[in-house]
Amino acid sequence: MNTSFLRISVWVYLAIFFAYLLGPLVIMSITAFNSSEFPRATPWECLTFDWFSALFQDQRILNGIKNSLIIGLGTVVLSVAMGLAGALMLTQIWPKLRASYYTIIIAPILIPGVVLGISTLVFWDRINRFLGLGADSFLSNGIFLTVIGQSTFIASYCMLVLVARLQRYDVALTEAALDLGATHAQAFRKILLPFMRPAIASAAVLAFLASFENYNTTTFTFGEYPTLTIELAQKVRYGITPAISALAFIIVVLTVFFALLNEASIKRKEVVAAARRQATVGEVTGKVRLPGFFTGNAAAVVLVVFAIATISVVGTATVYSPAQCIADVKEQKRLEAEKRIQELRKKREEQRKQREAEQAEQAEQGEAQQSAPKPSNNSGFGNVFAPNTLSGEGEDDVPDTDTDEQPSGGNGGFGGAFDPNSLQSPSE
Amino acid sequence: MSAGVGVDLENLWIRFGDFVAVRDANVNINGGDFFSFLGPSGCGKTTILRAVSGFLEPSEGNVLIGGNNMKGIGPNKRPTALIFQNLALFPLMKVWENITFSMEIKGASSAERRKRADELLDMIALPDQGDKLPSELSGGQRQRVAIARALCAEPDVLLLDEPLSALDLKLRQHMRTELREIQKRVGITFIYITHDQGEALTMSDDIAVMRAGVIDQIADGKTIYNDPSTAFAASFVGENNVFRGKVKQVMGSEALITTNRSGDLVARISTANQGKMKEGDEAMMFIRPEAFAIAPDGVTGDHFVTASVTHEEFEGNVFNIFTEGEGGKEIKVSIPNLGQSFESHTGQAITLEYETRNAVVVPAGELAAE
Amino acid sequence: MPGFLKEFLNRNGTGMGLAILGLVLFWTIGLIILPQLSMLDFSFRPNLPPPEIGGPKDVYTLENYKYLVYGPEGGSQDYNVVDLRIFFRTLIAAVCVTIFNLILCYPIAYYLGQTKGNHIRVFALMLIIPYWINEILRAFALRIIFGETGVLNTVLVGVGIFDTPFDFIRNDIALYAGLGYAYILLMIFPIYNVIESLDHNQIEAARDLGAPWWRIHWRVVVPYAKPGISSGCTMVFMLSAGALAAPQILGGPSSLWFTQLIYQQFNDNNDWPQGAAYAIVLLVTCILFVLAVMRLFKVNMGDIGK
Repeated sequence: MNTSFLRISVWVYLAIFFAYLLGPLVIMSITAFNSSEFPRATPWECLTFDWFSALFQDQRILNGIKNSLIIGLGTVVLSVAMGLAGALMLTQIWPKLRASYYTIIIAPILIPGVVLGISTLVFWDRINRFLGLGADSFLSNGIFLTVIGQSTFIASYCMLVLVARLQRYDVALTEAALDLGATHAQAFRKILLPFMRPAIASAAVLAFLASFENYNTTTFTFGEYPTLTIELAQKVRYGITPAISALAFIIVVLTVFFALLNEASIKRKEVVAAARRQATVGEVTGKVRLPGFFTGNAAAVVLVVFAIATISVVGTATVYSPAQCIADVKEQKRLEAEKRIQELRKKREEQRKQREAEQAEQAEQGEAQQSAPKPSNNSGFGNVFAPNTLSGEGEDDVPDTDTDEQPSGGNGGFGGAFDPNSLQSPSE
Repeated sequence: MSAGVGVDLENLWIRFGDFVAVRDANVNINGGDFFSFLGPSGCGKTTILRAVSGFLEPSEGNVLIGGNNMKGIGPNKRPTALIFQNLALFPLMKVWENITFSMEIKGASSAERRKRADELLDMIALPDQGDKLPSELSGGQRQRVAIARALCAEPDVLLLDEPLSALDLKLRQHMRTELREIQKRVGITFIYITHDQGEALTMSDDIAVMRAGVIDQIADGKTIYNDPSTAFAASFVGENNVFRGKVKQVMGSEALITTNRSGDLVARISTANQGKMKEGDEAMMFIRPEAFAIAPDGVTGDHFVTASVTHEEFEGNVFNIFTEGEGGKEIKVSIPNLGQSFESHTGQAITLEYETRNAVVVPAGELAAE
Repeated sequence: MPGFLKEFLNRNGTGMGLAILGLVLFWTIGLIILPQLSMLDFSFRPNLPPPEIGGPKDVYTLENYKYLVYGPEGGSQDYNVVDLRIFFRTLIAAVCVTIFNLILCYPIAYYLGQTKGNHIRVFALMLIIPYWINEILRAFALRIIFGETGVLNTVLVGVGIFDTPFDFIRNDIALYAGLGYAYILLMIFPIYNVIESLDHNQIEAARDLGAPWWRIHWRVVVPYAKPGISSGCTMVFMLSAGALAAPQILGGPSSLWFTQLIYQQFNDNNDWPQGAAYAIVLLVTCILFVLAVMRLFKVNMGDIGK
């Protein structure tokens, strides 16, 4: 087989793969800027930033973010602590018990999230009842249950991250600290913890992200405290708006930003370490001149470009007003719709004339033919209201009563031109 | 020299499950001494050190430091400081922070610690290196930082667990001298663990030779080399030619041994075994390679063996001559290189003379593995 | 074993040791073992209003499990055809998603693991970033693409492949794409980890001996990567079978996922014991299935999660 052909096919495969991986996120991000009331990238209507303001006026989303942050914090603390304890135990447990112990602490990763959610709910409900506490007790509090439920499996992830670093820890370091007079707690704080810090940071980030995006477990335990993910799921299930795209876009931007920041700081540490090593080989000085942040650091350069782009977009957004464009599109659509109606009227007129001409012979038949398209249209969204599957798209095809200016008879995908600001309400 | 604090092990037993790591050890270490435990890996010497430093509770018996029983006292409360085999310098702390860690624990101020670190860095001849990380130092420098860190804790007893094993030969020889000098300067008790007889012999006041959890002999270096009390001590410390046999006759401090292959030979009974050996006992006789002299042709003294030369090696300071005695018995002879012209003896039959004071008899026992 | 305990406390210090022990016991027993046992117990009980719990009616029963098989008493059919069909469809679909992901991810994992260079870091970053985005939002993104007037339909109709928009959602294509999409990283990472440690010389040697590329993979790379492959497949299978968000958002109106049934029992029917029974059935079936497949391919449990 030809090598260049092989190479090309590898790149084509990579391109398809990453298109599958990143394409949806890119398209979703684009829809956040389209004034179309249903999130879509095509056809492009108007550039708008209104979905972002719509997002920040949504109390349920804001409340969800608050709950997510509280729960995320609790989960990070609990799962990192349990993960670290679990990892420490794994490195020194009695060898005969190690395999069973490992199976137990790794199992939550494989147990379906719904099962964890249900078991947490059932177990703590029972404890609550056993203790004779009411329905509003701490143990049946949504935040407590969610933190507990999520930590069950997030701690396993943390344990895996932490044990990887712990395996490279030299127990002699702790012994040396003890030997020099430190207590066990001091040795832990001053020696083991600093050594574990990078892994603890990774585990904490991982735990927070896992908590923030968790749905399966949380959906059973959240009680009175819906997280952002729960709120999003409610919204997505019962009608979608580009405001969700706007939120997704913000999350994508933040993610990319922090990923780049992390890359840049790793790179910077490498550069500094290399410089330090060079300095020690040469003349011995106490201080090392830190190299510029950007020296040999592509990630940092990208980061800065990225930040500038973000700032300029936000700057544009504050002064840009799509009102004119939206009005134009609205007008255009109105005209189109009018045109269509005119055509339809004309057609009907013709048909009427035709019918009148034919009336003598086949009056009944003609009318039946004319009304045929309508029922077929209705059947298209008839099933859409089936449980749990109420599709936002379906709504779009439905002649919407409160926003539709022209009761258009056409099947056009964007029958109505909507003012984006009127959209916060129908999403509920 | 008895200003320091002594360490005593009384009937010390340490078991791990069914395995006995240390068997009934009794050792008295004088204050201010440089004391070595010498033995092959796995003989239990590190276990003893861990019991002294407090990381292990003895199964039976006591560890006394300065006469105080250390039972139930943790490593952080004992007046000992341990230098680990891999040094265990804290990788994320700078050199000066490493050195003064024991002061940080006690809550000393940063300025005090800096000052003390500078003093100790001067002492170990590493001035102005305090702000480096351990990973930026060379092996020998790290070694000295570990010593400074242990000394900073002002221990009564410094314990060293094969600290030189990771260094190359030249540096190791240099550090031997340096360690001994530091010990003399600070005047505290050093307990040193090693499998390297050269280190033990050059540095120590006293040496305990260990084998499989048992202490075979405790004495100063010369005694152990010249007057070993067991077959193991004789074969582990330095090179030795062993002749197995039976005691034919005991003559005061000497004995006539019927060796298996080299006939009847006379040798001195080692001091520890005098009066304990009798006719018919299984015995082992040891003669060091350098204790043999090649007799001029035809002239024979009282005590000799005959052998034929199989091959020779030139080692610089000595010539090693490998010979085969009667019945295929291998005997190694070392002749100092004094500039004499040496024609090859390979293939020749030669007579090897020795003096009885250089031939030692001990009861038959386990030999050190090659 | 108090000896072990004493040694543990000695080694870690009493305070630290008790803290570690306490956290580990809380996690393993309080969060993992007891809740599962509690759910198991619960699934054998009738659905009672709170005052009657612990009362004379609160007895063990197989009712909840019978329901899954036979349906409601006096029902029109002999078996609970609807729920059973959903159950098996979920399992089969999860297997399909797993196989799809394996085929999709193996070449990528191999490429990432065996290629050196700076661009690999960029690829790794591009792999991880989507995983940091909310699961709901990822499903949402696919919904936008697969919608009737979504990008895909616009393109396909525009190019002329279809005359009318194709309903990807009703045909469950969106669901499978979404499930596959959600767990790509979980498949790639374990395989990548193993393949990265494979000495490239082994592949060179095989090539040198004249093996064609597919034989190199079949005889050298795949056997070596088996722990990673089984680890990835196990995770993807368990998580797909237990997925809830993607089916809710991307699933067609007529086809439910088994987890959605569990969800309905809890949230709509308010029948917790029934939901717990369904959850137990799902959990046990998935575990047995994974163990059976692992035995078939001779893989150890200890390899999972490495």
